[in-house]
Amino acid sequence: MNVTRRDFVKLCAFGAISTGIASRYFRVASSKSSGSDEIKLVRSTCSPNCTGACAYHAMVYKGRITSLIQAADYPEPEYNPRGCLKGQSMVNLIYGPDRLKKPLIRVGERGEGKFKAVSWDEALDYAADKLAEIMKKYGPESIALSIQVPGTGYVHKGAAIRLASMFGWSVLHGYTMNGDLPAFWSQTFGVQTEEFESLEWINSKYIAIFGSNLLVTRLPDAKFLSIAKEKGAKVIMVDMNFTPTAAKADEWIQINPSTDAALALGIVNVIIEQKLYDEDFIKTYTDMPLLVRLDNNKRLRAYEVKDLKDEAERLKKEIPEYRDLFVVYDINKGGFKIVNPESLERDFEPALEGEFEVELIDGKRVKVKPVFQLVKELVTEDYTPEKVAEIITPPERDKTEYTHMIRRIAWEMATTKPLHIVYGASNYQWFHGDLKGRALSLIVALTGNIGKPGAGISTYAGQFKIRWPLGMWWLFKGRKPNWVTYLLWMNREYRQSEEFKKYNRETPYPENDVKAFVFGWNNPFDQHNMANRLKEMAKSGELEFILAIDFQATTSTKWADVVLPGVAWYEKWELTATILHPYVQMQQPAIEPLFECMQEIWIFKELAKKLVERWNDEELKAQIADFYPDSALFIREEEARKNGSWSLKLAREIADEASLKATELMLGKHDLTKEITLDRLLKEGAVRLNINAPKNRQIPFWEQIHEKKPFPPPSFPASLAKTARFVKSGRIEFYKEEDVFIDFGETLPVHKEPFIDTEYRVNPEAKNKYRYAFITRNALYRVHSTHSNNITMLELQDFRPRVWMNPKTAQEKGIKPGDLVEVYNDRGKVKGYAVLDPGIHPSVIIFEQGWWSRYLRGDSYNTLTYPWVKAVHLAYFVPGIWEPTTVWNECACDVRKV
Amino acid sequence: MVRYGMIIDLNRCIGCRSCAVVCKIVNSQPPGTWWQRVETVGSNEHMVPVGEYPNLSEVFLPIPCMHCENAPCVDVCPVGATWQREDGLVLVDFERCIGCRYCITACPYGVRQFNWQDPDENFKQGFERSGFEENWFAEGDYKYGYPKDHRTDDGRLVYTKTRPRGVVEKCTFCVQFVDQGIAPACVRGCPGNARIFGDLDDPGSEISKTLKDRAAFRLLEELGTEPKVFYIPPARKEGRGGVRYGEKI
Repeated sequence: MNVTRRDFVKLCAFGAISTGIASRYFRVASSKSSGSDEIKLVRSTCSPNCTGACAYHAMVYKGRITSLIQAADYPEPEYNPRGCLKGQSMVNLIYGPDRLKKPLIRVGERGEGKFKAVSWDEALDYAADKLAEIMKKYGPESIALSIQVPGTGYVHKGAAIRLASMFGWSVLHGYTMNGDLPAFWSQTFGVQTEEFESLEWINSKYIAIFGSNLLVTRLPDAKFLSIAKEKGAKVIMVDMNFTPTAAKADEWIQINPSTDAALALGIVNVIIEQKLYDEDFIKTYTDMPLLVRLDNNKRLRAYEVKDLKDEAERLKKEIPEYRDLFVVYDINKGGFKIVNPESLERDFEPALEGEFEVELIDGKRVKVKPVFQLVKELVTEDYTPEKVAEIITPPERDKTEYTHMIRRIAWEMATTKPLHIVYGASNYQWFHGDLKGRALSLIVALTGNIGKPGAGISTYAGQFKIRWPLGMWWLFKGRKPNWVTYLLWMNREYRQSEEFKKYNRETPYPENDVKAFVFGWNNPFDQHNMANRLKEMAKSGELEFILAIDFQATTSTKWADVVLPGVAWYEKWELTATILHPYVQMQQPAIEPLFECMQEIWIFKELAKKLVERWNDEELKAQIADFYPDSALFIREEEARKNGSWSLKLAREIADEASLKATELMLGKHDLTKEITLDRLLKEGAVRLNINAPKNRQIPFWEQIHEKKPFPPPSFPASLAKTARFVKSGRIEFYKEEDVFIDFGETLPVHKEPFIDTEYRVNPEAKNKYRYAFITRNALYRVHSTHSNNITMLELQDFRPRVWMNPKTAQEKGIKPGDLVEVYNDRGKVKGYAVLDPGIHPSVIIFEQGWWSRYLRGDSYNTLTYPWVKAVHLAYFVPGIWEPTTVWNECACDVRKV
Repeated sequence: MVRYGMIIDLNRCIGCRSCAVVCKIVNSQPPGTWWQRVETVGSNEHMVPVGEYPNLSEVFLPIPCMHCENAPCVDVCPVGATWQREDGLVLVDFERCIGCRYCITACPYGVRQFNWQDPDENFKQGFERSGFEENWFAEGDYKYGYPKDHRTDDGRLVYTKTRPRGVVEKCTFCVQFVDQGIAPACVRGCPGNARIFGDLDDPGSEISKTLKDRAAFRLLEELGTEPKVFYIPPARKEGRGGVRYGEKI
């Protein structure tokens, strides 16, 4: 099948363009060309959802950005220049044909893309009417809001949350919506996520990358792998597929899909058998010495023990309610001892191995074992190198060779310090991804590689951590938004299942379901259209109102009822602080907003104002001028409206002032931002956060290891009370005792095969029908779906999507290079051109996520994926920290020639 | 006398093509024109390995103009439009180029590009292939690129944002920046820090020092073109079983 450009146009038929309001974008843009003959450089930061937040210089000439290049002005010269091909060609989006010009109201069917251009007032009134109606009918929590990565825009994304907090809308946490939350972090360390800044990579002597294609997904940081190697580090890459990162590594170890936990446990087997572990470290910082009752699989509590009861009752009063008192067998004392959960100073010499009998308060005697003993038994029985090789060795490869390799790698990892493990999303975005993270953490914990320069475990997919508490701006007068989990919204069957009812303890869901969807900085109708459910909900009308805010017309704006044109970075003041590098930076406007586009802070302020008028809350009505951080700004604009002097230009000026005020409001209030001021940011460009570690370096768990503070460090914005209960012992926990972990056999990290608990459980036939794993990896040419329409990026891909497969797969299916093929399963399909790649595992089919539907003949690659929910992710609920998270790779498919 | 050259360290190159893109945007190359390319050696597809398991390899090779000391393109130009400046930059004078394209045939590195049509046409066609409506791009619309013309001291036009139809163009080592004392865009825009640009005649320059310390090669050296772009080859890998232990075990 040969698709011409005309077919493309027919399939996508962007209504905004065809209704005659937008065909001449650049003519209007050209009217913006003005000013002197001077070339001006403006420093700002690029900020799509890669969260690189790279500093750029915009070259401005006559009021337009002519080019963009990295500013290369970070105080640590090693970081220069941060930035990549997408940021460099961002002008193609700012001035591109998809740029939105005016507010739009839908006139055709949803998804058809027919809109009429209207005034801001008309669009906002219309949207406010609809939203208020839904709030009244179903409750405000029936409105779901998604803003994606908050760190890329504390001011404007913050304004959206501020609006949600006013009325109690439900916020969708992007971290779990995107499947970027590596759930092992909260389970093991009690944190949302932690990682080294990339400058720390060069302090490692051994870097083991498990399923993270850093060379493509972390472009500005990738060089630190090269520098680490130059400084003598060994780099290994464990991945089912060969990647550019594997090409740079000293060694590529190919394993079967989703078997990393088995490999990690095989390595743990060798480390324990050869006694290569750091005994002092695990006794001091982990739950390895804590005793577990063999009768009920729960940890032994001090107040259950007859001899410890009195002391325990007394101590219980001294510790916070989120802690608990656990017990070790103290060798020095020759008896049981209570462990202080509030400090990691060790005043006991615990037994790591053995079995003990303890008398409980009711006189019953039960057997107990230290966690280490249980881990040892587990890996000795189930994860010998020979058994692991049976699991991980790809077809037609030598299992004996893999057995030797496991022994050798284990020895290398245990003895070459500091060791850094990078745990990537290709690895953890599987149903049992959390088990792999827990197993890999065992390696760094056993070898004492945590909290030291170059020693640790990091995840780099999705950077959702908030750097410091932001409630002063994000929450309107202390009001709080509600939360809704994306997977639960998409998966009604699961919501109604017995499993959900049995295990859900605190995960909320709006009583009357989600009825309106508000999103910005976001393209969910491509990126989150799992099993086509989002589009179906929009089509059926189940979703009663859809509001999109963006600077471009995307697939998703096409599905909206109202589209409000926001601005691109380079057109506004914004505060950024993302987490791969520890800098706080400002975005500053290089140009005025194009057309009638408006800064988002203004859009949300206007919406708030109009909603208050339609909502019965006298308190909010009286306070609305405070939506802007300074009520005088709000009042100035309202007065201008009354006296007729209001203009878009004035509104923009006021919005700029408000953005700067909001920035100031968020700075300097917390130890991390002490002495970081707006002035300094504007003068110095990038300012490092005051992180408590030498040279303010981002070394996770420094305080725990060196200052003996209990785990976890806080994960903002959640309170410590919310997250510390994940690790009640104040230690790194490998043993999970909540019922759901016991019921599913996951008290300790184990290996579980992919698809058995998902695809094959739902449809046993899938095992024969869909033998391939559908992996939707990140592309070099996009940041998720941003830059999908970037003409320069399209050119580098010959304007067409591809499907990668092993030459053997192609041979079996009669596919030749360049053939148009269809990847499909019972839920959906996507087409692309075949690329034969000897580095791809024979049971894997790869598609690169982020292509807009219009480049895919209207299809959506996420029609194949499914919103699986893993029950252990329901044990607690803290948004974006402990919550069900998407598992893109848990998707079985087949491929055929078209 | 200054003599500019460049080193590209293939160990540091991550194949991301940022150099090619920033070059394209800064130097206003329309769709279809690339002054610089980055390919995976031996492979038809970028970032697809060659070889068979376990010996797969992906080596990325960026190819800008080599600014040859003994440049074949200069030798064949019948009108002196292509010449080598005293500082070693091989440039094209857009006002003198007659579009005969002898230089394109003569260049063994394939880095020269010809303007078959008005660049606006390239934009139109590029956007058409990208699936946009046909008529959205019109003459005089926004185009990226360094905004001002650049002439050498003797008045020759070596950079202009909208190239005239019928001229040859190629990498200039960003002459418009070099003449202001600023490094070429590909050097400033490389997130891998793979490139070093500087004066080959100054023994104290970073580029000279690096060339003294490290083995470097040039492309098609046997042709005697004397390129001023040097490559540091990828280091041998430790491979299976190799590990460099630190002092402490």
